[in-house]
Amino acid sequence: MVEKLKSASELTNLRERIIANRDPSKSVVSICIGTGCTALGAKKVVEVLGEEIKSKNLEERVKVKQTGCLGFCEVGPRVIVYPEEISYFKVKPEDVPEIVSQTIMKKDVVKRLLYVDHGTGETATTLEDVPFYKHQQRILLEKNAKIDPKDIEDYITLGGYDALPKALFQMTPQQVVELVKKSNLRGRGGGGFPTGRKWETTRNAPGEPKYVIANCDEGDPGAFMDRSIVEGNPHSIIEGLIIGAYAIGAHEGFIYVREEYPLAVENVNIALGQAQEHGLLGENILGSGFNFTIRVHRGAGAFVSGESSALISAIEGTVGEPKPKYVHAAIKGLWGKPTCLNNVKTWAYVPLIILNGVDWFRSIGTKNSSGTAIFSLVGKVNNTGLVEVPMGITLRNLIYKIGGGIKDGKKFKAVQTGGPSGGFIPEQYLDTPVDFDELTKVGSMMGSGGMIVMDEDTCIVDVTRYYANFLSDESCGKCVPCREGLKQIVGILNRICAGSGREEDLKTLDDLSELLRDASLCALGSTAANPLTTSSLYFKDEYEEHIRNKRCPSKVCRDLIAYYIKPESCQACLICLRNCPVKAIAGEKSIVHVIDQEKCIKCGMCIEVCPFDAIEKLSPAVPPTASYGIKVTPKKRR
Amino acid sequence: MLNAPMKPADDRKKPFFVGLRMTKEERSILDKIQEKVGLTKTESLLKGLEILSEYYSLGLDQPPLSFELKKLEEEAIQHADALKRIRRREDALKEIIHELRIIDQIVDKYNDKNALIQILIDIQNKFNWISKTAVIWISERLEIPTSSIYQIATFYKFFTLTPRGRHLVRVCLGTACHVRGGPKVMETVERTLGVEQGDVTSDGKFSLERVNCLGCCALGPVIVVDNDYYGNFKTADVGKVLSKYS
Repeated sequence: MVEKLKSASELTNLRERIIANRDPSKSVVSICIGTGCTALGAKKVVEVLGEEIKSKNLEERVKVKQTGCLGFCEVGPRVIVYPEEISYFKVKPEDVPEIVSQTIMKKDVVKRLLYVDHGTGETATTLEDVPFYKHQQRILLEKNAKIDPKDIEDYITLGGYDALPKALFQMTPQQVVELVKKSNLRGRGGGGFPTGRKWETTRNAPGEPKYVIANCDEGDPGAFMDRSIVEGNPHSIIEGLIIGAYAIGAHEGFIYVREEYPLAVENVNIALGQAQEHGLLGENILGSGFNFTIRVHRGAGAFVSGESSALISAIEGTVGEPKPKYVHAAIKGLWGKPTCLNNVKTWAYVPLIILNGVDWFRSIGTKNSSGTAIFSLVGKVNNTGLVEVPMGITLRNLIYKIGGGIKDGKKFKAVQTGGPSGGFIPEQYLDTPVDFDELTKVGSMMGSGGMIVMDEDTCIVDVTRYYANFLSDESCGKCVPCREGLKQIVGILNRICAGSGREEDLKTLDDLSELLRDASLCALGSTAANPLTTSSLYFKDEYEEHIRNKRCPSKVCRDLIAYYIKPESCQACLICLRNCPVKAIAGEKSIVHVIDQEKCIKCGMCIEVCPFDAIEKLSPAVPPTASYGIKVTPKKRR
Repeated sequence: MLNAPMKPADDRKKPFFVGLRMTKEERSILDKIQEKVGLTKTESLLKGLEILSEYYSLGLDQPPLSFELKKLEEEAIQHADALKRIRRREDALKEIIHELRIIDQIVDKYNDKNALIQILIDIQNKFNWISKTAVIWISERLEIPTSSIYQIATFYKFFTLTPRGRHLVRVCLGTACHVRGGPKVMETVERTLGVEQGDVTSDGKFSLERVNCLGCCALGPVIVVDNDYYGNFKTADVGKVLSKYS
């Protein structure tokens, strides 16, 4: 049984005691078991590592720590050996004995498991040497690598819950609000509303009780930073919430997590239990007389529920539909009471600001957007994962320095930020600094931080259609512009992608975008046209190609492409023929194979399996007439 | 508690509701056997039939007291049918009561109207779908109209009102997976299983669903079967992966 901490000095004593009990020379092997690494087999590595350590009788000397997400998911499972901080990538269970015998016992580095740079071929031993991390400034995410999210002691040893007594005993609630206001912290959920002002409004609003809510309803496809913080460092959010509640005068808080993130739900529940046990939550926190409890509310999968008024409805137990916001949630929110709702990242910044001060926070980032921004850099870049950078970094640096450039040496086409509500940013704006205001100027937005890079093989019209489809699906149907407008947009885009687009379609789409922007009830509808507006502005030629020439320049839209076997490259190996699900390929030994265009369903299986790159996509869909019976031109097999 | 806690279920007099209704005639037969005559009448009839069958086995055509025994025979058959039906009903009832007990536990954990979504999530996780029985029972327990429960259950993507297959196949069609070929994966899975997204295969083995983002975008395209994640997925591997599940 853990003893409840009754004062700030007891917390300090506990921290000192834990640190004193830990042997600094003891090896710690930390393995990321975030969703990404687990998908790549991290659990098996943990298991084998445990057995290996047991069989070598190293239990006294080595501790295995299962941590949250380190961000660089693509090269998982990830293993870091402390205190040397040697970082291994793509570790398989069969590599474990070598790590134990070389690195842990002899302190040697296993070279083949180190990170090798795509371009230069250089290896990196520690995280700081990896280019992906070198250019980042990780203030929120850095602790993920060192913390076992299921163990509150890890967080405490790293200075966790240090900001809490500082706020509770050395500051008045008013002073905390002032500090957050001065820090220029803006809401990280995407809107960028000044957090301090929101807190002040809630604090001054009449009505009791007041509520605080942490929003982790990350329904935005392509973004997973909230997940990794809740999974990897749940206590930072809890601490932020307690301080916020103290400042605002709330005694009850909620953390809203999607049920699609089972690990996040599990970890945050464990963390709440431990905080409660330690007297950091509940009645009379640290003997200060302040009471505060937190409950977890699991979201059941609705994109629109991430919208503040919809999220509040969902917590109230009703359908998560947005309400008109004549009165803000800060004044009338949950059960009609003043409610302060912030993204989990916003809450997690709070303890850092209290500890390190306003000047420190303002020194990072730009004048109007202080601090760092977290993006999930995904799509067609070499290094995909979570990146935390100071506000104001240019998109070019983000994509080329951290992201390592475009995959397979292809050409950059656009980057899409802000999820389904954001816009496409073309190459000419790559030097735009990334912050709340600059991104809005080029027609996109910060959003929750999804950043999807697209190369020449991505069809902009197709992706726009994807977003429209997604939003039309997720629209709650309450207001007409969103419900019907999106339906029409999807219809028109489907038509264009199918090759029956009309000349006047672009104009109609523009009109519909305007309608959506002006007349929708909530932000889902009013920003829904952003992808459409930016894509038709920056990539008008692609739309015109689809409409006029029935041609998809990126060769994606199914009705506008045809698959064709190049007779000079085909080696008549029968592989495509056997894999074709509809038996549309004719051929035999030493006779060049031919696709029957009538039967072909354009699934692309043949391209995937062809070992000779003999199959190509053609657009417009008029392949040269292929005659059957041509003899193979023999070629050396690769 | 945010709202006044509800009275525990035991305090309230509620009709014994089980979702099955009997006709008057069936009820009276049941009553006769259970209350007035007990099982003895059935037993005596069965005894009579035993004698009858013995009599038949002796090869005698015209049994003595044939009229009375004939009547008994008919009645016995009727009762045996009724018994069989009652047995079946009993089994069905037991099953439903078992389900309701579990739902009761879940509802008791929260015992709060506002926690309806949480209750439904737990039920979905437990049974893999939300049955009509569950909806009616929650409605009775929390005094929420069934229409409100259906409103929630149809609004949120997480809930299903039809039973799922033994294995759940989820194909991620988030943006990152979309640009990396997610739709092709979905098509191939649909073709391999012979169902469209949202449906269950006819043998009840697989449910196929799309999901809008699993938060492992770095591995796209991703498919998840039950709780096994398959990242950087190739369409050619669909058959191989699905054949692992039985």
